[in-house]
Amino acid sequence: MALTALDIYKLLPKTNCKDCGFPTCLAFAMQMAAGKAGIDKCPPASEEAKAALGAASAPPLPRIVVGTGDRAVTLGDEVVLFRHEKTFYHPTAIAISVSDALGDEALEERLRSISALSFERVGQILAVDMVAVRFDSGDPARFAKTASASLARCGKPLLLSGTCAALAAAIREVGASRPLLRPPPGETAAGAALAAAEKLPLAVSARGIEGLAAALAAARAAGATELVADPKPADAAVAVADSIFIRRLAIVHRAQEIAYPTAFDLGQGFPRPFEAACLLLSKYASLLVLDTADPAEIFPLLTLRQNLFTDPQRPIQVDPGIYPIGKISPSSPVLITTNFSLTYFTVRSDVEAAKTPAYLLIAECDGMSVLTAWAAGKFTSESIAALLAESGISGKVDHRTLILPGMVARLSGKIEELSQWRVLVGPQESSALPSYLRRLPPAAFVPVHG
Amino acid sequence: MTVPLPKQAYPGRILPVTLPAGPGGTPVTVGGQNALSLAPEGEKPNAAAIGMEVRTGGGDLPPALAKAFECRATDPVSLAGACANDWGAQFLFLSLDGCHPDGGGQPVEEGARIVHEVLAAVSCPVIVGGCGEEETDAKLFPAVAESAGRPVFLSYADEKNYRLVGGAALAYGHGVVAWSPIDINMAKQANLLLSDLGVPPERILIDPLTGGLGYGLEYTYSIVERIRLAGLSGDAMLARPVLCHLGDAWKAREAVDASETSWGDAVLRGRRWEETTGWACLAAGADLLVFRHPGNVEAFREAAWR
Repeated sequence: MALTALDIYKLLPKTNCKDCGFPTCLAFAMQMAAGKAGIDKCPPASEEAKAALGAASAPPLPRIVVGTGDRAVTLGDEVVLFRHEKTFYHPTAIAISVSDALGDEALEERLRSISALSFERVGQILAVDMVAVRFDSGDPARFAKTASASLARCGKPLLLSGTCAALAAAIREVGASRPLLRPPPGETAAGAALAAAEKLPLAVSARGIEGLAAALAAARAAGATELVADPKPADAAVAVADSIFIRRLAIVHRAQEIAYPTAFDLGQGFPRPFEAACLLLSKYASLLVLDTADPAEIFPLLTLRQNLFTDPQRPIQVDPGIYPIGKISPSSPVLITTNFSLTYFTVRSDVEAAKTPAYLLIAECDGMSVLTAWAAGKFTSESIAALLAESGISGKVDHRTLILPGMVARLSGKIEELSQWRVLVGPQESSALPSYLRRLPPAAFVPVHG
Repeated sequence: MTVPLPKQAYPGRILPVTLPAGPGGTPVTVGGQNALSLAPEGEKPNAAAIGMEVRTGGGDLPPALAKAFECRATDPVSLAGACANDWGAQFLFLSLDGCHPDGGGQPVEEGARIVHEVLAAVSCPVIVGGCGEEETDAKLFPAVAESAGRPVFLSYADEKNYRLVGGAALAYGHGVVAWSPIDINMAKQANLLLSDLGVPPERILIDPLTGGLGYGLEYTYSIVERIRLAGLSGDAMLARPVLCHLGDAWKAREAVDASETSWGDAVLRGRRWEETTGWACLAAGADLLVFRHPGNVEAFREAAWR
């Protein structure tokens, strides 16, 4: 059971020295109780307190790393139940399955389609993270060969699903890549011994939270330490319920015996796998195994993951400044918008679609969208006038005409008062920019003289 | 080994709200729960209600919808009939976007006439959506409120127009969808203003503004979670059913663009884009979901366990 803030407070020096960055020892204790601060932030703490609180300040959900190097995937290590409380740190890993029963050509084709599952959105690359190799052939040597080919072809960390004999064979080929081992439920102890001997992470499968707690205990008893928990639900409703309860047990109840990252296999006939994937991405799964490699299904799932794992306090931003689009000239139109990454990329792609070379002026707005930034006083007539004066845009174009987002049309008069620029009110929606830009008369951007 | 199930109890309860049906139709009741969605705990007397949007404006259909509507008349009255009778929509969201100056600019009387015809053609509950243009909507809502032959919900009332919409709803016995731009304080404010005006609480739904997948969905997700947690913690002004209108999902290039072959089939992708937005909203706590794709209505109605 977790220590309360008061339990923690009793062990602290109670001097309110503020070295931890919090105003009082009690405030620090409350942060520690919430899993948001560690005893290492309190230099004057006694050794006794450090020993007692070290465990309490460990992340409530352990961190498990699968794979090595740049492509390594981190599972778990989360501290909150709701993203608005802080953020979710480690995006749900998505593994696409490969059967070792596939013929050489089919295997090659399958691995090619998995490698192709990579998409660019708002300046980030979204891709699947792992390959899940399934032991269907009955031949451990073939399983090892498929694992080896999957690693070589995709370069992604592996999840190895098979009997201990198959796992042992595969480890000889790909063990150095730190695969996640997933023996069948009946072989938990043997699989755990294998994982312990090879120092590899292990996924423990057993139906339901009770069964899982027992299986995890058996795995620990066999020496395995880096564990992932798979409650083997029958359908999406049970899966999401198990996922919610396990995360609550970890974060709220600090029930260490069940506090592990979760894995769900949504392939092999799991009912309504797409629905289950969406719900489990929303509700705490650390790893999902999918049989589909259809980009029409994977792209939306990866986008949902990108959305939910964006830090609510730090929206994805681009650097403020001047962005030329296309073959610009001194008579190219100048548009302005905010530095919220999504806004920037949406406007940019619409300007590109218009095939009208233009300058895009990006204002520093703490990564807020136009309307939000305006409401928060970050995108104002004053800040826009200052940007026009200081950004150097007037040295790049010989006209003085600014296209303002239609959402903030009301700023136009004041901008004209505060700057030497004329303001044209653009469309409300960025999607209307192509037709808007094409309709603009060239006379809108005549040079200024004098 | 026994692991205690970490069930969570909350002091508050979401107010049940009923969307009235026409003669012979089935009314839709949402809310009434005292727990978060998806966790098997508390009392959840009503599943999330699944509705469909019907638009009066023209415009090209995305590939996924063009395929789904194939061989059917897409005029609002015929489409409304198909949604309610063939595709299983429990309620309709009739968007009068055809009255928008940029969307055809139908006269207000024409919008009101379509509402009247749709209400005659279907018996399920109907929410009537404005066109989004302030001045037009100021004329549209009173006209709709007067000419609708039976009680509907008017969407939307916000900080600016709540007197007009709330007043029209009170005068003719309609409900109101209180709209706010992804802001929990403004959501609460809109409910307070409508309450002060005398609109009964059981005739108000919250629309927190739903950003589509990839285009602000995460903001909606967290606002819906926060509204629900506040409501369950006892904030009566936020203990109201939440409506998520998924129309924004279809504005995403990723949902409609058939030219990017590496993104997969646009017909399936468009449907999945809306579906993914819907599951995330359901996970966050939405009580009413408004779809355009018939296949998604079926998928969500079958998953009414929530």
